[in-house]
Amino acid sequence: MSSPADDSGYAHLRLDRAGQAAAFDALGDRYDEAFPHKEGQVAAAEWLIRSLPTGSRALDLGSGTGIPTALQLAEAGLKVVGVDLSDGMVALARRNVPAAEFRQADIADLRPGGPLDLGRFEAVAAFFSLLMLPRAEIPPALRTIHHLLVPGGLFALSMVEADVDDFSIPFVGESIRVSGYLRDELREVVETAGFEIVDESSFTYAPASADIQPEVQIFLRCRRRHA
Amino acid sequence: MTKRLGTGKRTGRKAAGAQGRATPARRPTRSGPASVPGDRADEPRPAEPQTDRLRYLDAATRSIARGMDLDETLSELCRAAVPAFADTALVHLYDPLPVGDETTPVPGVLRLHTTRQTSPQALPSAAEAVHPAVGGPLATRLRDGRPVFGDAPNAAATVTELLGPANVGTTPPPGRRLILAPLHGRSHVLGSVVLLRGAGRPVFTDDDLLVASQLATHTALGIDKAMLYAREASVADTLQRTMLPPSLPEPPGVRLASRYLPASRTAQVGGDWYDTIPLPGNRVALVIGDVMGHSMTSAAIMGQLRTTVQTLALLDLPPDEVLHHLDEQAERLGTEHTATCLYALYDPVLQRLLVSNAGHLPPVLLRPDGTGEILSVPPGPPIGVGGGGFESTEIHAPAGATLLLYTDGLVESRDSDVLTGVENLRARLRTAAAQAAPPALETLCDAALGALGTGDRDDDVALLAARFEGILPETVAYWYMAPRPQTAGQARRLTRRTLHRWGLDSLIETTELMVSEVVANAVRFASRPITLRLLCTDVLRCEVGDDSPVVPRMRHARLSDEGGRGLFLVDQLSERWGATRLSTGKVVWFEQSLPDDVAH
Repeated sequence: MSSPADDSGYAHLRLDRAGQAAAFDALGDRYDEAFPHKEGQVAAAEWLIRSLPTGSRALDLGSGTGIPTALQLAEAGLKVVGVDLSDGMVALARRNVPAAEFRQADIADLRPGGPLDLGRFEAVAAFFSLLMLPRAEIPPALRTIHHLLVPGGLFALSMVEADVDDFSIPFVGESIRVSGYLRDELREVVETAGFEIVDESSFTYAPASADIQPEVQIFLRCRRRHA
Repeated sequence: MTKRLGTGKRTGRKAAGAQGRATPARRPTRSGPASVPGDRADEPRPAEPQTDRLRYLDAATRSIARGMDLDETLSELCRAAVPAFADTALVHLYDPLPVGDETTPVPGVLRLHTTRQTSPQALPSAAEAVHPAVGGPLATRLRDGRPVFGDAPNAAATVTELLGPANVGTTPPPGRRLILAPLHGRSHVLGSVVLLRGAGRPVFTDDDLLVASQLATHTALGIDKAMLYAREASVADTLQRTMLPPSLPEPPGVRLASRYLPASRTAQVGGDWYDTIPLPGNRVALVIGDVMGHSMTSAAIMGQLRTTVQTLALLDLPPDEVLHHLDEQAERLGTEHTATCLYALYDPVLQRLLVSNAGHLPPVLLRPDGTGEILSVPPGPPIGVGGGGFESTEIHAPAGATLLLYTDGLVESRDSDVLTGVENLRARLRTAAAQAAPPALETLCDAALGALGTGDRDDDVALLAARFEGILPETVAYWYMAPRPQTAGQARRLTRRTLHRWGLDSLIETTELMVSEVVANAVRFASRPITLRLLCTDVLRCEVGDDSPVVPRMRHARLSDEGGRGLFLVDQLSERWGATRLSTGKVVWFEQSLPDDVAH
C-alpha cells in the first residue's frame, strides 16, 4: 500500500481546483487594488531577508502579481522562485518582477516525488495562499513546504482566521473557496507538520473592496524542525 | 323706491369726501369692482340702474371668487363692499370654522375677522369675540340665513348682541343704514357680514338687500372653498412631513444632517424624501428620492416607496438589488407615477461607498482637501418605468469626506438648467470648505441651500449630508465559523482574546456568556458558516450572523426553549439587542456600554 506519494498525504485526495485559478485570472490587477497596505506581509518578508544571507534561495508560494513579496525578496538579493496556480497571475508577476523566476504550478506538484522538482530553499513564504486549499490538503501542503526547506529553513505563513473548510465567499466580484483555522488550531497544524513557531502576530485588515469583509489575519514566523 | 344703489349724488359724495373716503378711481391700491352707479364723478350719463347693479355684482363676485384662502376671500369682499356699496364692512366668523360637509356642533364663539371702513370713527369698538346666546336672536338670525335691515323685527337685539350696545346705541339708530347678512356655506353657518352706511349717505334699498345677499352668498361659498383648499394643503403637508424621518440616527463612523424645504406655494406638495438606515457591521444606507409631480398622490406614493426602500435595505441587499426590487414594487403598486432614487451604502470600516442610481441627480463628494467631485454614477432608468438594469458603483469614501445627496429643487430653477445648478452647488460647497476645514456639517447644509433657504421656491428641496468619519479596522474583528458543537466555545475564546486586546477585561465575562448563547442558537439552525463580528466604537457591539431566516423572538423565551432562554439572558445583560432578517439569513446583535475608564 505504501508509496512515496502516500507519505506526502495526497494519496487519498481528489484535487479540485475548479474556478480557483480562473477567479485570479479574471482578477488581474484588481487583486492588488482590493488588498492595499500589506504591512504585515512586508514585515514578514523583511524577517526572512534579515535572517538570510544574500543569494539564498526563497520560494514564494502563491506569488500572485509578484507584488509586494517576490519583488521585495528579489530586490534584497535573494534568488526568488514564484509559484502560482493562475496563468494570469504568473504573467503579471513576470512583468512586475523580471529578476525572479515564476512557474505556473499546483503546490501538489511540488510534493516529494511529485512532477515538479524545484530543489531546496532556505526560505518559503506562503501569504494567503494555503487558505485556497481544502482543509484536508493543508497538512500535506505544510509537509511539502517542510520537504522543500533545508533543515533550519524559514517559513513565513499568513492565513485568515476562520473555522471553515472549502467555503465559497465573494471575492472582488468573483467567488473563491477558502479554508481556515482559528489561531490555536492553526498553530497545532503547523507544529504537527514539523515547524517551530518563533513568532505570531494578528490584526484586523480592511480590504478596499465593498464585497469583502474585514478579516483577522494571522502571521506565523516558523523554522523547519529537523524531523 | 329709488333706483340708486349707492351714495347719494347730491349729499352723499360730499359727506363721504368729508369723511376722507377716496373715490375708487383715485385709490392708489388695487381697487374694488366698479363702484355703484352715481358714485363716479366722470360718469358720462347715469346708466340704467339695474344694469349697473348687475355690472357691479358681476365684478364683485368675480373678485370674491378669485380668493384662494380665507383672508384673501374676505378682503376681496370688503374691498368690493367698501366704499362702493357701504362705508363699513364687518365680518364675523365662527371659531373654529366648520369645514366641508362635516357635521360638527355650531361653535360657541364668533370672532371679528375682517373690518374695512371709510372712516376709523365709524365703529370705534366692535367686540373681538361674541358668544351668541343659544336660541338667542343672533343665533336664530344667522341660522335663518336671509339678510335683514337694521330696522327689521328683532334686528336691533340681533345687532346689539353682535356688535355690542355701544355701537348700536348711536344716534340716529342705524335702521336702514345697516344690513346684517348671515354667511351660509354649503352645509354650515359660517358667520355674518355687517354693512353700514354713514349718516351722509342714502339708506339701503330693497334692491341693495338683494345685492348684499349675493355678496354674502359668494363670500360664504368662497370661504368654504378656501377652507377645503387649505385643509387639502395642510393634510398633504402633514402627510409628507410624517413620512420623512422625524430625526436622523447617530451611527458610529458617520455624521448625518438633512434639510427639507417645501415648495413656496402651499398647495405645492412634493414627493421628495430622504432616509438613513443603519445596517449590521456599522454600515449605513443613505437614500434620496423624488416622486414626480406635486400632489397628494406624490406624497402618498413617496411614503410607500420610502417604506419599501427601508424594508429592502434592512434585508442587506446590494444597492442595485434594492433599486431593482423597488422598481418591481412600484409597478405592483399600479401607479403611473415615476420616481428617481439614489441608494448609497457606506461602510465605515472599509471606507467604501456602494452607489446605485435610478435616474436621480449625481451626488457631490466633498473631499477632505476641500475639492468637490460630482460622482459619475451611471444614471440608470427611473423607478416605475420597469427598465431595470441598475448598477452598483464602488467609490472610495475617505474619512473627512462629505457626501451630499439632493433633489432637483436644489439645483433646478426657472433661471438655470440642472447642470449649471449642480456646478453652482459645487462652487457653494467649495467656498464653504475654503472657510473652514472641514466645515461643520450644518454649515455645509446651509451653504448647499444657498439663497433657497429664504427665497421663493418652485419645487420642494430635500438634502442629505453624510460626513464620513470611518472606523479603524483595529476596533473590528470578524470571523467565519462552520456550525459545529464546539463553535460556541470557540466564539467564547475569540471574544475573550479580542476584548482583552481592546482593554475591555471587565466586559469579558458577560460578553463571553452572551456570545456563546447567541452562537449556540445560531449553530442550531445554520447550514453554512456563521459569522461573529465584534465592534468597539462608543459601545461594544457583537453581531452573530447565520444563514437561517428564523429570527428569534423574546416571546419564545420559555424555560423549555433553549434558544429563547439565551435571548432572555441577552435581554437582561445587554443595553440593547435585536435581530435583523437579511436576504441571506439573519443577524442577532447586542450592545453594551463601555466601562467609564475606556469610554472617551
